[in-house]
Amino acid sequence: MRIVAVTACPTGIAHTYMAAARLEKTAKDLGHEIKVETQGALGIENALSESDIRQAKVAIFAVDIGIEGRDRFKGVHIIEVPLREAITNTRAIFERIQG
Amino acid sequence: MTQSARMAPEFTFVCPLPNGFHARPASHLANVANDFISESVLTNLRNGSVANIKSVLSIIAADIRWNDECSVRVHGSDEQVASSALRRFVGKDLPAFDEPLTNVLPDPTTGRLPRSLRSAGLKAYFGLPVSRGIARGRAVVLRTIEIQSEPLGRNGLEPIRESERVKQSVAATLSRIRGKLQGHVSGIEAGILQAHLAILGDVSFMNKLLERVEQGHSAARAVMDAGEFFSDLLRKSENPYTRERALDIQDICLELLEDVQGPRSSSSVELKEPSTIIAENLTPQQLLALDRKWISALVLESAGTTSHTVILARSLGIPTLVGAKNIGELAPGQDVLVDANRGFLLPESTDVVRRFYEREAKTLERRRAALASYAMRPAVTSDGRVLEVAANVSSAEELTTVFQNGADGIGLFRTEMLFLGREAAPSEEEQFQVYVEAVRAANGKPLILRTIDVGGDKPLPYLNLPQERNPFLGYRGVRMYPEHQELPEAQLRAILRASAFGAIQLMVPMVSAVDEILWIKARIAQVQEDLSSRSISFDRSMRVGMMIEVPSVAFILDQLGRELDFFSIGTNDLSQYFLAVDRDNSRVAGLSNAKHPGFLSFLRQIVAGVHKHRKWIGMCGDMAADLRNLPLLVGLGLDEISVPATEIPIVKERIARLTVPDCQKLLFEATRCQSVSAVESFLDRESNEASRSLLDRELVLLDGEIDSKEEAIRDIVDALYVQGRTDEPDRLEEAIWTRESIYSTGLGHGFAIPHCKTEVVNASSIGILKLPRPIDWGALDGEPVEFVILLAAREPDSNGAHLRVFSKLARSLMNEEFREQLLEAQDREAVLSQLNQQFEGTG
Repeated sequence: MRIVAVTACPTGIAHTYMAAARLEKTAKDLGHEIKVETQGALGIENALSESDIRQAKVAIFAVDIGIEGRDRFKGVHIIEVPLREAITNTRAIFERIQG
Repeated sequence: MTQSARMAPEFTFVCPLPNGFHARPASHLANVANDFISESVLTNLRNGSVANIKSVLSIIAADIRWNDECSVRVHGSDEQVASSALRRFVGKDLPAFDEPLTNVLPDPTTGRLPRSLRSAGLKAYFGLPVSRGIARGRAVVLRTIEIQSEPLGRNGLEPIRESERVKQSVAATLSRIRGKLQGHVSGIEAGILQAHLAILGDVSFMNKLLERVEQGHSAARAVMDAGEFFSDLLRKSENPYTRERALDIQDICLELLEDVQGPRSSSSVELKEPSTIIAENLTPQQLLALDRKWISALVLESAGTTSHTVILARSLGIPTLVGAKNIGELAPGQDVLVDANRGFLLPESTDVVRRFYEREAKTLERRRAALASYAMRPAVTSDGRVLEVAANVSSAEELTTVFQNGADGIGLFRTEMLFLGREAAPSEEEQFQVYVEAVRAANGKPLILRTIDVGGDKPLPYLNLPQERNPFLGYRGVRMYPEHQELPEAQLRAILRASAFGAIQLMVPMVSAVDEILWIKARIAQVQEDLSSRSISFDRSMRVGMMIEVPSVAFILDQLGRELDFFSIGTNDLSQYFLAVDRDNSRVAGLSNAKHPGFLSFLRQIVAGVHKHRKWIGMCGDMAADLRNLPLLVGLGLDEISVPATEIPIVKERIARLTVPDCQKLLFEATRCQSVSAVESFLDRESNEASRSLLDRELVLLDGEIDSKEEAIRDIVDALYVQGRTDEPDRLEEAIWTRESIYSTGLGHGFAIPHCKTEVVNASSIGILKLPRPIDWGALDGEPVEFVILLAAREPDSNGAHLRVFSKLARSLMNEEFREQLLEAQDREAVLSQLNQQFEGTG
């Protein structure tokens, strides 16, 4: 499955990137293809393009704050979770997608 | 009202001073009145108070506020001239006495404990710290001496006998104070005694005393009544400084009382162990009567910050809090801790408090030791350029501490402090003693004595200097020397005689033309000749220099460089003259900023102009005291900077991390900025401190005695403080906990990653703490934590390369293998090498 994700946390220096790493690792373990955009203190990195989003079956928002460019995801199935879920319960998020 | 009083000249005026008629304008008005025989009476038409204009106390007591209408009546043989002189003073000179409003002090009762103490739920009494330090001691609660509570003596006595007793005790007290002044007293104590002399000599004070005895009261009763009367009036003043003079009145009255009644038996408290003195208020003499050896701290309920008691406590190095509420409820004998670095008293010593302050003592000691390693050596940039770091002082007493702080010399000794606040100028001999004491304390290090710098803004009663509209552009510094020759002459003699004892250099203030230097040099030559003829020794090669304060001199440095040995830039005056800004005018004060790009170019030109003549140039203004300016000063190529003594160690530490070419480049870029704010943000962005590496050996902590999350965070914060990466550990701790309150940074698997973005770190930093025993962190997986990685990102720059390292590190922590390697690392090197492997290829 092709998945896109966005991570963002209040200070943007640690959890944004930890969540991104967990999502990437777990997706790989489960055989999914994922691209994670981080919105942290470094700004937007690994930005999702229009075609990335169009091709994705689902978008995961692991965020504690409002994110930039939310309107890009119109019409995409969005699963939004508190960021810490992406760190502690990563597999559960993917189970929700499959279920 | 008599016939003549009705005919006497009378006029009215409206008080133009937003801060009211406080001590300084009052003493000037009294000086004007005292030049005449006529009696002058002022009536404050708002409250009906009547004041004798010859008495400072009386004027202050009339509580004249802004816009109060007052009438003045003059009566006597020279009433016409006296009246017009007074009229001229209130009309023309008085408005110039406006002072900026006293800063509103923070309300101490809203203070906070450091985060790691706050969670322990302790009771604390907050106060405003006015003299720093941390001390423990038993509470000694002193009752306020109420003058009324003293035995009164009989009434209905013979007025003549009682008035003799009053006069005798005033005379005896005066001579006792004068006697003390001749003995060994510190400059601070001397200032207090001088103020007491002024009160005893005040005509209203004496009149009040005599008035009471004439009414049939005893001498003792008269003293009590006068004391109560004047301290009451002073306490009602709107001006805080004036209010605090009430203590001095009480002090004097207590002394007079002892004289008329004999010593009070209960007056002194004997201290036998380290004691924290707790009182509503204390007079200076009461404080001096206590055994300094046992005073560990002083906590006052009264909020005054400028009382003589506070000034004295500071000079004695006693940790002191003022404005502390409800301290009367503390039990005598109770063990209390006073933290006068932060501003609170803790009445109970719990385990948490004990551990906190033990850690704190170690931290402060480690920071002191880290700084001392720089302080006691010359300041050298990392590419080897030496910059002298000297201190500014105002009295010889400060010198010992100054040199303990690592001063390479004294860049500015303000001698005018010897001349201010007294009845007559200090004699040549008195000055000589002070200068010799100073040069001995300097012990071979250079000592720059600035000759007397007074004028309209710092008036001397015995010089009769005219009031000026604009004293900063007026008759001051070297400009008044020729007319008052006796003053510079006595000073030059004293300085030259003292030059035989060490490396004294003489510096002339407020020079705007070469003539002034030629005049001084001629006087010096004369004094030298005279000293030689009397076989009095002096240093013939004593260096002579000048302050650069007036912009004109920057364009005649060729001429001046031929006449002088050295120069020192006084940035406060130079910038205000250069930028045409009156620093005391709040509407334009913001424009006065030494970081103006034009001013920076000007400084560059001055330093180059002086160095062309191979002469030495230093800087002694506020610009040198601001750490953020250091790279600019190094870039300027100054030979010396003179700063407040406490700043010396940190200035030397910061210099050691700078290089000359970087600083020169930075200065050049700064001179090309658009504005002051552009220079400031440029300096912030390019801060050399911020470019320190994220992590160093000293930030890897492997053997802490840590019991809690609070202690763990504090331990890393303290390590950052010891390394000079933050100057405000409490605020850094607070920032970390603010992030922690969103949700725990315990990320699971025994790891925690507390972090924050903050302006209170000088450099983005990583701190590592490996715990000997796992502790609860409220982690996401509920497991205890044994490895803590603290990330502190500096705002505003938030260096991209540093942030990339943080993000890389955060990602790596999701990797089990990496976590295990960190847990297995046994020493600092192993931890560092694991981390550095992760950072490779980043920033």
